[in-house]
Amino acid sequence: MTWPAQIQLATDPVTPVQLALFAAASGDHNPLHLDPEAARTAGFDRPLVHGMLTMALAGRLFTRRLGPGCVRRLHARFSGVALVNDEIELTATLDRTEGDLAHYTLRGITGRGKEIVTGSAIVGAAP
Amino acid sequence: MIDRSRIGFTTAPTRVPVDAWRVKLFCQAIGETDPVHWDADAARAAGHTACPAPPTFLKAIEGEHFSSAALLQMLQVPLAGVLHAEQQFDHHSPVHVGDVVEVSRRVDRIFDKKDGALTFCVVDTDYRVEGRSAARSTQTILVRNKPPA
Repeated sequence: MTWPAQIQLATDPVTPVQLALFAAASGDHNPLHLDPEAARTAGFDRPLVHGMLTMALAGRLFTRRLGPGCVRRLHARFSGVALVNDEIELTATLDRTEGDLAHYTLRGITGRGKEIVTGSAIVGAAP
Repeated sequence: MIDRSRIGFTTAPTRVPVDAWRVKLFCQAIGETDPVHWDADAARAAGHTACPAPPTFLKAIEGEHFSSAALLQMLQVPLAGVLHAEQQFDHHSPVHVGDVVEVSRRVDRIFDKKDGALTFCVVDTDYRVEGRSAARSTQTILVRNKPPA
């Protein structure tokens, strides 16, 4: 198996509908993600993208390229927040291989270049 | 100050089904367009026994068991001022639509940083399907404490 040296995923601007769908799917109804007024009260211009949505995008980055079931470990440190209307750009960079597994480092930024996530992943062949 | 006696608190396992509608909403939210995740025929045509759940999907069923919001309420931490600092997922075996997942959560660690200005709460979650571990996740919640008046 030859592992890609780099895998990228760039989204369109994240919409309020996506956050509402994610809230419905996950049961995370925190108003910071849904209510512009609650976001402003907390000091943000617009509602915040769920960190778990960003992490799920990181999962999709790998499954889109390597197939469902390829992700063995995913680690995310949420170093910043993305807001509604931000694009999200994720980059996975091959760090090393170990037997049948590949270790990647992860970094995510908004379209404006602000870091929102760092982390790592271990992937293997899809079962 | 979060009550340290809650370290080790473990929820009684409950069983949560992986529903096609929930997987589909999750996929719509993250822009996943591959129908293998919610269309059983597409999944079989691609060689899957059933529709595979996307990575980290299991976090989305935690609320049906014992949500992090409920956990914070138990710890008497107000939701405002709380951040999801870190998350890890270890996937041990694939989870599919139609599986029933036994979920249990445990408060693993509570510790302070910056002279008590920040408290970190680490919660482990186990997901078991038919008696074997399908996945394990670790969530780190950051609580920004108000300085004493």
